[in-house]
Amino acid sequence: MIALAFAVALAMQDPASDAEFLRRATLDLSGTIPTSGQARAFLADPDGAKREKLIDRLMASPDYARRLEQAVTVMFLERRSGGKIPDAQWSDYLRKAFATNEPWDRIVRSMIAADGLDEDRPAMKLLADGANGEPHRMTNDIARLFLGRNLLCAQCHDHPSVKDYKQSEYMGLFAYLSLSKLQDDPKTKKAMLVETAPKGKTEYASVFSPAKKQQTGPKLAGGEEVEVPKSAGFRPREMLADALVRHPQFARNSVNRFWFLFMGRGLIHPLDYDHKANPPSDPALLETLTAEFVASGFDVRKLVRRIVAGAPYARTPLKPLSAEQMAWATMTATGNLDRLSKTHEGSKFSTRDYLSGKSSAAPSSLPDILKLFAAVFGNAEGEPEVGFQPSMTHALFLMNDRLVLDWLKPAEGNLVARLSRLTGDAVADELYLSVLTRMPTAVERKEVASYLERQGPKGLGDLAWALVASTEFRMNH
Amino acid sequence: MSYACGGHDHTLSRRSMLGLLAGAAGGLLAPNVASALRSKQRQVLMIWLDGGMSQLESWDPKPGTDHGGPFRSIPTSIPGVHVSELLPFTAKRMHKLAVVRSMSTKDNSHSIGVGRMQRGDPVNRGVDYPYMGSAIAKLLDTGESGLPPYVWIKPGSSGFVAQDAGFLGGRYGALALGDGRPPTHIQGGVAAELEQARQDLRRAADARYAQARGEADVDAWEGCYDSALKLMKRKELFDEGAVSRADRERYGSHPLGRHLLQARRLVEAGVLFTKVTSFHWDTHADNFAMHQELMPQIDKPFAALIDDLDERGLLSNVVVLLMSEFGRTPKINQRWGRDHWPEAWSLALAGAGLKRGVVVGKTSPDGAFVDEAAYDVGSLFHTVYRAVGIDPQKTVYKHNGQALAIAREDMEPMKEVLA
Repeated sequence: MIALAFAVALAMQDPASDAEFLRRATLDLSGTIPTSGQARAFLADPDGAKREKLIDRLMASPDYARRLEQAVTVMFLERRSGGKIPDAQWSDYLRKAFATNEPWDRIVRSMIAADGLDEDRPAMKLLADGANGEPHRMTNDIARLFLGRNLLCAQCHDHPSVKDYKQSEYMGLFAYLSLSKLQDDPKTKKAMLVETAPKGKTEYASVFSPAKKQQTGPKLAGGEEVEVPKSAGFRPREMLADALVRHPQFARNSVNRFWFLFMGRGLIHPLDYDHKANPPSDPALLETLTAEFVASGFDVRKLVRRIVAGAPYARTPLKPLSAEQMAWATMTATGNLDRLSKTHEGSKFSTRDYLSGKSSAAPSSLPDILKLFAAVFGNAEGEPEVGFQPSMTHALFLMNDRLVLDWLKPAEGNLVARLSRLTGDAVADELYLSVLTRMPTAVERKEVASYLERQGPKGLGDLAWALVASTEFRMNH
Repeated sequence: MSYACGGHDHTLSRRSMLGLLAGAAGGLLAPNVASALRSKQRQVLMIWLDGGMSQLESWDPKPGTDHGGPFRSIPTSIPGVHVSELLPFTAKRMHKLAVVRSMSTKDNSHSIGVGRMQRGDPVNRGVDYPYMGSAIAKLLDTGESGLPPYVWIKPGSSGFVAQDAGFLGGRYGALALGDGRPPTHIQGGVAAELEQARQDLRRAADARYAQARGEADVDAWEGCYDSALKLMKRKELFDEGAVSRADRERYGSHPLGRHLLQARRLVEAGVLFTKVTSFHWDTHADNFAMHQELMPQIDKPFAALIDDLDERGLLSNVVVLLMSEFGRTPKINQRWGRDHWPEAWSLALAGAGLKRGVVVGKTSPDGAFVDEAAYDVGSLFHTVYRAVGIDPQKTVYKHNGQALAIAREDMEPMKEVLA
């Protein structure tokens, strides 16, 4: 029912104007908003193929890999930071993978199989830190993130309302993972995700019939039970990694999740409830995209391009800016991005101290600022970010944070300094193009002029604040 | 995620509430008016003595027995009932309290015990149950106070503690005020006139946007500014300078006293669930000297709090709960300490929906076990829910299509306590 309502809403959405498309594609493919200069150039360009060219340009930029890395990190690690693998190592690894367009099945294969020994050590973060190296959490996360099946209930019994989710499926997947555990390497003292020797089948019983013992070996839904050879060199998690990326549900779920990143809603929604009674909003489209993704050898760039160049993308409903997009967009809109230090060497900034009022020193480098925005606008650890969840603390931050208010004071090269050198309608035009990527309406021009008449040039910061704080700014439209 | 904000419905009801309050400048209402206004909204104040207060040095003394320790017992305002001499002020208010001497729970480690108790020791259903504060916020919040529904006053750091909410989702988490300090970013960034001017600009932009794009998102984001601006106007709630010298003396200048006074102010302002945490009650060594030091820090301000709530008529709306994650062993260890003891311990309740001046349950003569009316923490949750007007038989959480009981289905409320 919800899926149907969504399909109707999608069909009724007006196609995006050039300005809307520019903002949407820039946010989705590079994680920030266009500058006023880029907006003017795009709007003035008479080329009929300018949207395709824009997509090419954005996907060729290094920002593309950074944006995908950030979006996938939030989706997979769900704001769990720190742990055995430093956050920066994981980000570097994933960003490089997207930059070189490594096939998606190979990326995911290394996330499942990595034991910490080889060069793919950063990929271990998903299971070692995201799931804490704990077999049941690994089982849940792999089922949710890669098969689109939330098997949480099936750990103890068949799912009470989703008929397809059986305890036997959960236990088959768990049997691949039950031997994995975190252990420090005796020589290097580094944490490894090791596997102990197989001990035969996994026994289980439903909590509703505890006397009825059952057993299973490693097995994926719809597949056969496999035997893990006892000889050395066979690791069940490696066997799982190979089997998982060949499972039809893997490609289907991957396409659905990439679709969600760009469209704000999965073709199957919720993303981790793919089952018979919750069909895709457009089954044929999902099938086609999945077949193409597999045929392309899991080419992420091709899939992304297919999604953003398609007709539905130009009609997507609103979706909220992520914490990272909010940070980049605010810095870009206020013209302060280039003024900030890109490294934080020697920085003593602590988000916790700053937000608890223990320290009043605002962050000054880009990495610290991103951490602050993630702490304010991101969800709590372990909560997927799938909808618009605004909060009072977001509002208090935008209203009163020293950093944000400083960005709205005139400083060489920033938005307010630029505006202060303009007169007449040019002020409103530059303001709206810089913050909202569109020209102001006549009413808006008039509002800007009359506010400045009353407040004088110091009113420029208020005008910019009001637009940054607006709903239009928070939603990617 | 942080404290989320009401949508359109809440705004409307908050506005009608504001209309009511408009005549009372600065919110300084006479106590009886305050109680009349809030006659329907029940609230909870939880005082959490982390580490485990000794029942033997407080509610359930056993003087003259092997494990009784050095302190005497004193009579209370309930004839025939005695408590430890370390509770002289509270003893005089016993007729306003309901004391349970027969708590018998299961966990004896802090690391699991605190969460387990504050979640009501739920049956494992594969989900993280919410803490009581988040549960009450979810079940009772109407948004009428315009204040965050779950505020936690504690030593140390501030911030938003989303984890407390468990499967209810971060929005029902706790707004933590480290040492009672104001919430982060509550200090106005710009002068008042300018705030008005820039908010007018923002609202105008949002109104135009709502016309073009529909109201749902605008309404949600607008509600957040609304809550934020309201909280900024209540800065006095967090200003220790606004507290009278007499109150400061009655509650004490130590952290627990200051935090309880802060809690009273938040309760008066209408915060739905207020929690005050005090640490350092884990007296494995030197139990008696430590309780001699610690007990006055709860006794005097707790008595003052009960008086204040009663005088303001709030004791008929607010459930007060004073407890730890467990009690302490009757047996005295070699370091003159008492260790963790969940088998038999005490807690105190007072206020809305509860009897006054009752003592429930009985422990064995040596204090080691419960002889009469043993209650687990699930029963406490049933009792608190009933007291605030929620029927746990008829109310369930819905989570991912799964119906989840709000309190242990195999447990009953403490009938001796409910009014």
